[in-house]
Amino acid sequence: MHPLKRFLFTIYVIVAVGVFIGGLISPQFRARTDASAPLRDALLPPPEPIVVSVLYSTEKDAWLKDVIAAYQSGHPTLNGHPIQIALTQMGSREIYLAVLDGTEQPTLISPASSLQTSILEDLSTRKFGNPIVRAADCRSVVQTPLVLVAWKERADVLWGNTPPADVWKKLHDALIDPKGWEAYNHPEWGYIKFGHTDPLKSNSGFMTILLMAYDYFGTTSGLTSQQILADAGFRQWFAEIEGTISKFGDSTGTYMKDMVAYGPSVYDLTAVYESSAIEQAANARGRYGELHVYYPPATIMSDHPFCVLQADWVKPDQAQAAQQFVDYLLSQPAQEKALLKYGFRPSDPSIALDQPASPFQQFAANGLTTNLPPQIDLPSGDALNTLLDFWSRNVQK
Amino acid sequence: MKTRGNSLLVLLSLIAVVIAGCGGGGSPFSGGKTVTVSMVYGSEKQEWLTPLIDQYNAAQHKTAAGSTIVVTATALGSIEAVDAILSEQIKPTVWSPASSLYLPVANERWRQNHSADLVSGTPKDLVLSPVVIAMWKPMAEALGWPNKPIGWADIAQLATSDKGWAAFNYPEWGSFKFGHTHPDYSNSGLVSIIAEAYAGAGKPRGLTLDDLQNAQVKDFMGAVESSIIHYGTSTGFFGQRMFERGPSYLSAAVLYENLVVAQEAKRIAGTSQQTPVVAIYPKEGTFWSNHPYVILDAPWVTDEQKAAAEDFAAFLLDKPQQQRAMELGFRPADPSIALTAPLDANHGVDPAQPKTVLEIPSAKVIEGVDQLWREKKKPVDLVIVMDKSGSMAANGKMNAARNSLVQFIQQLDEADRLRVIVFSSELSDLTPLTPIGPKRDDVMRRVSGVIEGGETRLYDAVQQAYTDLVKDGDPKHIRAVVVLTDGKDTQSTSTLPDVMQQIAASGGEGGNAIKLFTIAFGGDADKDVLKQLAEPTGGQQYNSDPSDIMKVYSEIATFF
Repeated sequence: MHPLKRFLFTIYVIVAVGVFIGGLISPQFRARTDASAPLRDALLPPPEPIVVSVLYSTEKDAWLKDVIAAYQSGHPTLNGHPIQIALTQMGSREIYLAVLDGTEQPTLISPASSLQTSILEDLSTRKFGNPIVRAADCRSVVQTPLVLVAWKERADVLWGNTPPADVWKKLHDALIDPKGWEAYNHPEWGYIKFGHTDPLKSNSGFMTILLMAYDYFGTTSGLTSQQILADAGFRQWFAEIEGTISKFGDSTGTYMKDMVAYGPSVYDLTAVYESSAIEQAANARGRYGELHVYYPPATIMSDHPFCVLQADWVKPDQAQAAQQFVDYLLSQPAQEKALLKYGFRPSDPSIALDQPASPFQQFAANGLTTNLPPQIDLPSGDALNTLLDFWSRNVQK
Repeated sequence: MKTRGNSLLVLLSLIAVVIAGCGGGGSPFSGGKTVTVSMVYGSEKQEWLTPLIDQYNAAQHKTAAGSTIVVTATALGSIEAVDAILSEQIKPTVWSPASSLYLPVANERWRQNHSADLVSGTPKDLVLSPVVIAMWKPMAEALGWPNKPIGWADIAQLATSDKGWAAFNYPEWGSFKFGHTHPDYSNSGLVSIIAEAYAGAGKPRGLTLDDLQNAQVKDFMGAVESSIIHYGTSTGFFGQRMFERGPSYLSAAVLYENLVVAQEAKRIAGTSQQTPVVAIYPKEGTFWSNHPYVILDAPWVTDEQKAAAEDFAAFLLDKPQQQRAMELGFRPADPSIALTAPLDANHGVDPAQPKTVLEIPSAKVIEGVDQLWREKKKPVDLVIVMDKSGSMAANGKMNAARNSLVQFIQQLDEADRLRVIVFSSELSDLTPLTPIGPKRDDVMRRVSGVIEGGETRLYDAVQQAYTDLVKDGDPKHIRAVVVLTDGKDTQSTSTLPDVMQQIAASGGEGGNAIKLFTIAFGGDADKDVLKQLAEPTGGQQYNSDPSDIMKVYSEIATFF
């Protein structure tokens, strides 16, 4: 070959190889799936993934783990970078405490309800001057209301078919009566046993004490720290009702499971999530009598918000990838699974709650209904924090 | 060829050395790294756990770090285990007592020397079983079972009535004989006395230290305790005694529901010829035995052991293992398993019961109940018969016998009455049958001064102890004779048939008869004879030597 030709050929080869390699390295190129992929993967380091770390509450663990497998199998990407979801399970309160004190720096958080994001918004504004989370950045993926679950023969005696409008006041009076069930002509049932989880460890316990507080003040909105702290009558009433509870559970799922395993000898009635009641409804059949779900006159939703944090450690591509993940959770297959397999109410309104395989059909005889009672308004983060603090000072054992 | 052969040999040797160097560090040839999960558990679940532990170990489960998990387990009375853990005599990874009742007490005691809890969080339940009063079916029917709810109040009434079963038109059943285990050793015993305190106070929750000062509560506990034939070390052991010895020995005992199911399964299968037994769920309320699986937060438990212990818990909670537990009479902790046979009326139980529980009192109140029980428990009339023959000089036997007896005497309650007879060629009284309270130090000093020498007049000594106790003992007390001997009888005027006849004469008293506990001390004692003496009385025969005599005495102590 002529030396010049050889020189030009060498240049051509270098450029061609360079272009080829450049093409391979380019994320857009890499994202394409084509026949040369195995060779390419063998030759080059994998593209940098976008890691979306998620702190989420335990209640949705089974559902999330179930749907994440399907999500990952679709090899999700953003701008050619694969999206990696790193899930960490935590208690709802632990989530905001960890974010606040900096021990965790997640992209997304999803406590059990907006109660926690509201507290985090308030506390982070006080601490940093800016909220680390804003309601506008949160999307609720599934919901479940707080309900009362009772052994039917006992609820029949206590309130008949439906709980009265002042259910918590009535319950308070029944619980503190030393006669217990004897006052209802059933001395063989012993004392009246009500329970909810520990509000510091479990969101359903927090929701329960909030409903109690609203009921005491006779409203469904605008609860303030001032009301909670200044009313001696409330303090006494609250300590009395809580004083009758022998054991505050650590988790709602376990609490509900115990109610079924031990039967009415240990719990006559408990305040738990509708989804927890659904989870145990089939197990309860043929055991200790009928277990029934009752909707309190005013309830509150565990709405499982997914919120992208407003923090300097959250990069724009992480925020975008996080939203893409939440989009998936809101897609029909994931939402349908939430309802049919896990008893949550989906956020997607197009999924019918009363479809044939739905638990709302299956357990309608146990009191499950798609109709929701009115919901209380969420008080300010400050009032919520005060209430938790109030509980830990006046009740915690 | 030779050179190549040599090189191969060198290479193989090098590999062998490397492999040997890996020993215990993950080599497949050495069996690999292991992590041991040691567990102490309440004896009631021994039949369930033992084969499962073998099965689990055989499957070679691994931790995330790659170690093979090895589970070792020892059955130990629930409360006995707390004492051993707190004193660090044992250092297990997992503790699974019969119930959660004692966990707050364990934490409170642990915190006296540590900054954190021994038991943190809420441990998982392995299996469930309510605490019940197990009663022979005809006796339960005489009380109105199953139509009339029966409770502690009925037991107290029966216990204090001079008529006994005659009050229910069954004079042939004699007095009402009741039993529960020793509250300082076993969960069901502790549960029994708490339930008695609640029933005495007439409330199902909120028991206070003030309640325990109430005369009504004290009298009630005294009444129930007056019908106790003896206490005992473990619930499983107590059930076994009841089901072996039958209605003449014991009318009813506080047991777990699973023991009733297991006994009825045996009776139905024809392996027990006993009268049917049923579970009474006390109308005032009861407690659950929930077998918590406690991974101890103790300094000797490593993170890897914790992880391994979690893995073993997951295995025990898996459906096949839970199903197996139900076959043995437990209620599964997993509610997805339906409550079916043998949890049914055929097996003496009602899976729709219990209707209510009693509230678990605070650690302080539990300790208060235990103190009250010490005041109100049935006193003991005890005769100790100790061999001081010449042969006791060998192998440090005399020294061990003296020291262990001194320690045993130390444990007796103030109101207990004690007589000590020492025998060789002669019988002599170290102390007559009088309350131990005022004379304790003196008796301990005298026991320490016993010197060996002479022959073995075993039968004469036992005969005299027994005959005098029939005469001088209070039938309202637990009456027992504890005999320690290291050899065969060599010089008595009485014979074995004489003694046996004397024992047989008291047979009509059933569980209330004088109990004979015999200790064969060393290899030369006549174990068969000692067994013959002990068995018909409801007592027990033990084999012992200087190394474990203390343990034998503490086991005997659980009866009182």
